[in-house]
Amino acid sequence: MTSRLLAQKIVIIGLGLVLLATSGASFYHSRRLKEPVVLGPGVTAVKQLADYFEPLRGTANNCNVYLLEGRERGATMLVLGGSHPEEPAGRLVAWILAENAVVQKGRLIVILSANRSASTVTRLGGAYPPDFSIVTRWGSQTFRMGDRWTNPLDQWPDPEVYFHYPSRQQLAFVDIRNVNRAWPGRPNGTLTEQTAYGFMELIKREQVDLVIDLHEAELQYPVISTIVTHQRGQDMATIVSMTLTDNEGFKIGTEFSPRTLHGLSHREIGDHSPALSLLFEAPEPFLDATRGITTREQLLTGKDEFVVKAGKHGLLFEKIDEKGWPIDVRVGRHASALLQVAETWGEDHPDKLLVITQVPRYKDVIEKGVGSYLRDPAKAAGRVIYE
Amino acid sequence: MSMFTQAGIVLATMVVVYVVVRAFRISTELAMFSAAVGGALVAGFGFPARHVAEGAATYLDINLIFVTATLFMNLLKESGGVVFVVRSILKRFHRSRALLLVLLTVLLLVPGALTGAGSVTVLVTGSLVAVVLHYMGIPKHRAAALIFLNAGLSAAAPPVSLWAMMTAAGVNMPYVGFFWPLMLPCLVAGLLTSFILGWKGEGSDVTKALEELPTPPAGMAWWRVLLPFVVFGGLVFAGRQWPFSTPIVGLPLMFAAAGLVSYLVSPVRLEFFRIARETVDQLLPLLGTLTCVGILVEIMTLTGARGLLAVTAVTLPMWVVYATLFIVLPASEAVLMWGAAPVIGVPLILLFNNRGLDPIIALAGMSLIWPLGDALPPTAIIGRLTVDVVGYKGSYGKFLRACLVPALIIVVMGTLMVVYSKKLAFLTGL
Amino acid sequence: MPVVTLFYYALVAFVSVILAVNLLKSRKWERDVLYVIVLLPFLLRLLRLK
Repeated sequence: MTSRLLAQKIVIIGLGLVLLATSGASFYHSRRLKEPVVLGPGVTAVKQLADYFEPLRGTANNCNVYLLEGRERGATMLVLGGSHPEEPAGRLVAWILAENAVVQKGRLIVILSANRSASTVTRLGGAYPPDFSIVTRWGSQTFRMGDRWTNPLDQWPDPEVYFHYPSRQQLAFVDIRNVNRAWPGRPNGTLTEQTAYGFMELIKREQVDLVIDLHEAELQYPVISTIVTHQRGQDMATIVSMTLTDNEGFKIGTEFSPRTLHGLSHREIGDHSPALSLLFEAPEPFLDATRGITTREQLLTGKDEFVVKAGKHGLLFEKIDEKGWPIDVRVGRHASALLQVAETWGEDHPDKLLVITQVPRYKDVIEKGVGSYLRDPAKAAGRVIYE
Repeated sequence: MSMFTQAGIVLATMVVVYVVVRAFRISTELAMFSAAVGGALVAGFGFPARHVAEGAATYLDINLIFVTATLFMNLLKESGGVVFVVRSILKRFHRSRALLLVLLTVLLLVPGALTGAGSVTVLVTGSLVAVVLHYMGIPKHRAAALIFLNAGLSAAAPPVSLWAMMTAAGVNMPYVGFFWPLMLPCLVAGLLTSFILGWKGEGSDVTKALEELPTPPAGMAWWRVLLPFVVFGGLVFAGRQWPFSTPIVGLPLMFAAAGLVSYLVSPVRLEFFRIARETVDQLLPLLGTLTCVGILVEIMTLTGARGLLAVTAVTLPMWVVYATLFIVLPASEAVLMWGAAPVIGVPLILLFNNRGLDPIIALAGMSLIWPLGDALPPTAIIGRLTVDVVGYKGSYGKFLRACLVPALIIVVMGTLMVVYSKKLAFLTGL
Repeated sequence: MPVVTLFYYALVAFVSVILAVNLLKSRKWERDVLYVIVLLPFLLRLLRLK
């Protein structure tokens, strides 16, 4: 090899190594970014998912389980944030609950990272930012961006076709890493299936009455701005939808969980446990295939000219204008819907109430911003844990 | 500056950089990489190392499939297995050209149908079929066209059709009800293609061909050829039959296992490391294309160029969408390969769903048309691979012209499936 | 880590070695660059970074 060839090769390999080191460092840091949670006044215990299903111990999906026990007995509600971490409103609502909620009657169990592994990776080809920050009164708090699917570093390889357990329904191969296609889970299955199984064990052991799975959707997706419910929750979802639309100034519909579509929380939790299962969808233009530039700002403001254009052509299932869909609005919708479910449940079950206080409603979140409900970890020594 | 102007400038920059780099006779792969970097710079992202690496990782698993599947085939070839099969097929079926063509079509449809990758068909059975076609008197450009088109159909054929799966996943639609809407048109189009391109043969002389063909090494037998396929098929079958009691093996390891068996039962001693090195060397353009496409799609998404393409595609009048499917789908495939499914497929299916069409049939119809783009520049990846595997040294244009008539039939079939999807919805069985 | 996953890391390591050997022996700068780009995701996976 001539010296020119050698020099050329050294330069090319050197540049390659620089690319490897810089990108590798970015992936390394975003996978390990610590998200602080200040335990609110209502948190009475923090467990781990492995306490309900031991094989999850030591895995990326051994998430924290926040228990908020009421002063009086009543119904138990499980709130799942972060089934799809790329839908941040769900995680932020769960954060607000863990840091603020006080339960008077009944019990609240909150999950901030239902698929924790998926929160440590960003979508291949999606150009997601590695993280995003919410402005607070004391500075800002940074969260991992996350993806829809379990990190391949925690579950690899994928099969050629994904057979859902136990229905044997064939799904796209990537969805084997989608926790909301893995319900009710499988004890000896993949990490994602084991995670869903762990939650089912939790639901059974804690005698959960209500499960709320928090999501967001692209505006081109027909199931949006709605409550998807198992057939046993139809009446309640309809009343919640009507009450919210009448009283809180935002429209939310109801959809019934299709009986033939398997793996989703609103179908399988209701089928495999006594709990009522509901799934909330808020609009997130960041997920739209027609979105423009992919930035943190777009994620949090939901402003996008391209999506607006698609809307003008009647291609969307939710309205959008130049104001976008700010994160405060999305979080506020989820918060109010969740509180309304608890209230409506109480009207039907006066002997088994669920009374949650100190949680902001739609108008509060819009007025003060999500950041107002995040607590400063620097001033909460001894009450901070990490997601 | 509006988002439209900004993304438009980025897209224009990408096109200009691509054209300029190609003008310097630098490869398509590096032209795509340069276009991505140029786009990111103009959009003000500098050199986004994280996004470049993330985009590069998009097709890691598919690259692994390509390496292991091709290694398996090369091991089989070097062991004398391929020539053994060619001789046997010719001896047994040479009297009936029709039967031979049906058999070859099925041979071509199987690997891609199972893996979702037309290139696997080209690599696994393409070279073998090419030899048989050669001795049937079919000129190489037509043989290449026949193999390429069937490989494309095999990729669209069920059970694994990546375009359909990726698009379905993108609109949160289960990959269910696709079997017959994909199987019937793929089978019909495959047979039509084979008969149109393979019926006429000049100067076919099977006896002479058998004399000319090299003899396989002593000890080569059917079991030595078939055992690796049995292992591969067995792993696929077990995973599908008992999905909850067999571990997830994944296609790359299945091909690696088949390759290992092929190596172990070869009647001649194979230089494993040399064959592996040659395989990777042979595959570099393909691996490079996939990696660079991943980078390009990621940067297009980052900068809004992808959104601009998508929003433009879905806001055209319906008749324009129908009338341009035959250009838009192959062209998107030519530029983005499977990236075409999330970029173009998802908005189109949402559009069709919104307009009351049946999304499953429409997507099946689109899946039929997409693979045609694999012969078109800038990537032309499967087309180039096929021409390479067949050993055709003539002009690429001649190969493309040979594809034209069957490709038109496929385009018409696919477009009609989209337009009349509502009436064909019974095929889904749902 | 499941046994199958270990096999996958071994497979990625094997392909990385082959790519690296070919890169060192290649004599065209274009192929060098392409080898480096192709190698990148293999190494990121091998190092458990992506």
